[in-house]
Amino acid sequence: MRNSGAVTRRRRRFDEVVGVFHTDLYRYAAWLSRDPGVAEVVVQETLLRAWKSLDSLKEDGAARQWLLTIVRRENARYFERKAPETVDIDELTPGQSAMVAQEDDPSLEDLRKAILRLQEEYREPLVLQVLMGYSTREIADLMGIKPGAVLTRLHRARLKLKGLIDEDAAA
Amino acid sequence: MNCEEYRQAITADPSESFADGAAHAAGCAGCSRYRDGMRALDRRIAAALAIDVPPPGIPDLPPVAEESGNVVKFPGGRSGKGWAPLWLGVAAGLGVAAFVGFGLLSTEPSGATLAEQVIAHMDYEQASREVTSVSVPERELHEVIDSRVSAMDTGIGLVTYAQSCVINGNTVPHLVIQGESGPVTLILLPDERIDEPIPMSGEHVHGVIVPVGRGSVAIIGERAGQLDEIDEIGQRIVESVEWQI
Repeated sequence: MRNSGAVTRRRRRFDEVVGVFHTDLYRYAAWLSRDPGVAEVVVQETLLRAWKSLDSLKEDGAARQWLLTIVRRENARYFERKAPETVDIDELTPGQSAMVAQEDDPSLEDLRKAILRLQEEYREPLVLQVLMGYSTREIADLMGIKPGAVLTRLHRARLKLKGLIDEDAAA
Repeated sequence: MNCEEYRQAITADPSESFADGAAHAAGCAGCSRYRDGMRALDRRIAAALAIDVPPPGIPDLPPVAEESGNVVKFPGGRSGKGWAPLWLGVAAGLGVAAFVGFGLLSTEPSGATLAEQVIAHMDYEQASREVTSVSVPERELHEVIDSRVSAMDTGIGLVTYAQSCVINGNTVPHLVIQGESGPVTLILLPDERIDEPIPMSGEHVHGVIVPVGRGSVAIIGERAGQLDEIDEIGQRIVESVEWQI
């Protein structure tokens, strides 16, 4: 293979700039798709796309936002290809059950179920703000909506979550 | 800022990054408690969202164009690496003029344009566009392309069809690759010089003939939904194809 130096440099840049974000990519994909199996597929597709278009990333500092944008697009493509199943959102799939019942604080299980029950328009900005630490402006840019809409959705997301948690506690 | 405004803002943004928030909370015990409650909720949300992550599995990374080892300098010069999405031109009406059925360029004695001949040939070889995962053996692929093409990015996709065909009196490589959204046909036309891309948009085909150096390449998908993919493939083709001298 010609120009093996360029190959090595590219692969090193990929590992340094892209590989370090695997945890963020997976968690974002998992909460977006609500399915750990789908998240793994989406992350694989994202890494392939990132590899192919690595040259289009002009600043390494923008890598995370760039990658999350690709995750978002690959998630949408995944569900475009697959016919959506009609499922009861109160009944968890085996993958979701595993996602909810982690080996940490058991009291977080109900909160995870409540987050899964949030509609995507509320769940996504919440994940981006709380888990990824994104500002309102950054969330707006990623989701392609106005900052005011981001704030409205975040407000509703937290109120809905509080409502679901209080409802479960009362039951 | 009053209490209702404060509580609305803090519910959307418990970090209190908005103006006058800290000042209001400092003077209002009720809102200060409300803020602390939201922040406690957020700490639990953050813990809940931080689910376990499986070990990273980097997929097999395919070689990109510059790594393929197939690039040879083309004596006539390249048509340029700049690539812009073509479908703006279609939307602006250019696509109507280039619609198959209207003659524009390189008319052969029968009167059919280059685009019409490409489409007619695709209709003739419909079986080439089946969805399959069976690739053409590399030896066969080289038998088809080596006499006309000295370099090409063969990592653009799984090549499932490769034949030498006659278009406009010349024997040219006809390939089909399996794109993400369906089969994509590539017809390599080293003898057909064109000045501008020719979009092709019809009932069953959506594609473009793009200038590449002294020749051109036709890239055709089956559905309008493949336009992004055709653009991507087109860019890689323009940047990698070199004709035999």
